[in-house]
Amino acid sequence: MKISRIHRTARGAALAAALLVAAAVCPVSGDAAAGQDRRIQTMVIDPGHGGMETGAKGKFGNLEKDITLAISLKLKAIVERNMGFEVVLTRDKDVDVSIENRSAIANNRKAGLFISIHANGAVQKKAAGSETFFLSLNATDEETRRLAYLENNSSELQSRLDPSSDDDLMMILWDMAQTAYIKQSSRLAELVQEELDAMLGTRNRGIKQAPFKILTGVACPAILVEAAFISNPAEEQKLASADFQAKIAEAIYRGLARYLRVPE
Amino acid sequence: MTEKKQGGVSRQALILGGLAVVLLVLVILFFTGGIGEKVKRFVDAAVPKASDAAGGQAAAKTVTLFFLSDDDDFLHKETREIAAGPTDAEEAERALVELIKGSEKGFVSPLPPQTKVRQVFIGKDGLATVDFSRDITEKISYGSSSELAAVYAVVDTLAFNFKPVKKVVLLVEGAEKETLGGHVDLSRPFLPDYSLVAR
Repeated sequence: MKISRIHRTARGAALAAALLVAAAVCPVSGDAAAGQDRRIQTMVIDPGHGGMETGAKGKFGNLEKDITLAISLKLKAIVERNMGFEVVLTRDKDVDVSIENRSAIANNRKAGLFISIHANGAVQKKAAGSETFFLSLNATDEETRRLAYLENNSSELQSRLDPSSDDDLMMILWDMAQTAYIKQSSRLAELVQEELDAMLGTRNRGIKQAPFKILTGVACPAILVEAAFISNPAEEQKLASADFQAKIAEAIYRGLARYLRVPE
Repeated sequence: MTEKKQGGVSRQALILGGLAVVLLVLVILFFTGGIGEKVKRFVDAAVPKASDAAGGQAAAKTVTLFFLSDDDDFLHKETREIAAGPTDAEEAERALVELIKGSEKGFVSPLPPQTKVRQVFIGKDGLATVDFSRDITEKISYGSSSELAAVYAVVDTLAFNFKPVKKVVLLVEGAEKETLGGHVDLSRPFLPDYSLVAR
């Protein structure tokens, strides 16, 4: 797995650079201070899939990529109307955008929040409901131990930081920052999921952690919303309706607003 | 004159015969040498040979496979007999073939039935590397749920049945792939996750 190592190290270095910049915008505060003052200037909405990559397919021919774009455009409009920050989409039409480029858009624009919109797909036709994901790092035993050590010895880590810092150290830093963002991501996921549950009338599948690629590269709190199942014929038809899409966008906005403590 | 001629013929025959023997030896060496190399490629140093313990007979091994049910979102255990030995890697490959083949009890495999297991390698560090044919990505359009189910059915099947396996990496056609269908990150090895398994 040497290739993987090199690949990861390179990615770690690139992202660590973005992280150092992003750290100023995305304060890596503890959960105690969470919600007090989040000066977010830019948020990124990521309509899942696109172009050749259709995502999950419904029985009636609806494609995940089209539904995610429709919901994302509606969410962007609501947020821009009600909140004072810039909203950037990772795509605003039906085009292929690589996962790396999606994260890069968020990191280059110094996004303070990242919301990826998806429609779920399961092998079981009956699978139904809404769920919100945040990142699980899927750390191996060794990495978990290393992280635990470094989290308990962060002052020591800082004193060891110098310009000759190698990629490995940058990678560790990246993992640490991700760990910090995970607490905020978890809170955002919880609030968004509550609103989805209140507004959609779909089964509440709760908040979950998963090692989703799109969430691994983003240097700020990030969630992935699975609005409903396109693989379930009844939910597919709901997902395809503009009315239901608007409800999803509104629910995500309300969760976001509660997270930011902005009066609705 | 005739004697001399006859002697020449028999000497020719002798040389020809000698050449044939040498050729035969070379051919045998070529093929046995080839087999030796092939075995070497698949032998897994970290793994004890199960068949030795089982007496070398065509022993069977019971493995637990993880399938989906139509009625809930969990992975469900189903046991299956596979041929045992000689290495864990070969048994693991057979277990995955059975996982792809599907359930005998009405459960559903999360992997496309066309998928082939190209190779399984189990390293000394407990890292199992599984190489699937491209069918695993091309014969199904994954949503988050089905992609998570596909990945963890493989990871849990390997980690649950084979003690040396601590973590699993998935390859497609011998190469690293970002995701199977746009969701789950394949760049880091997976630890088993039995929270997805029905109790």
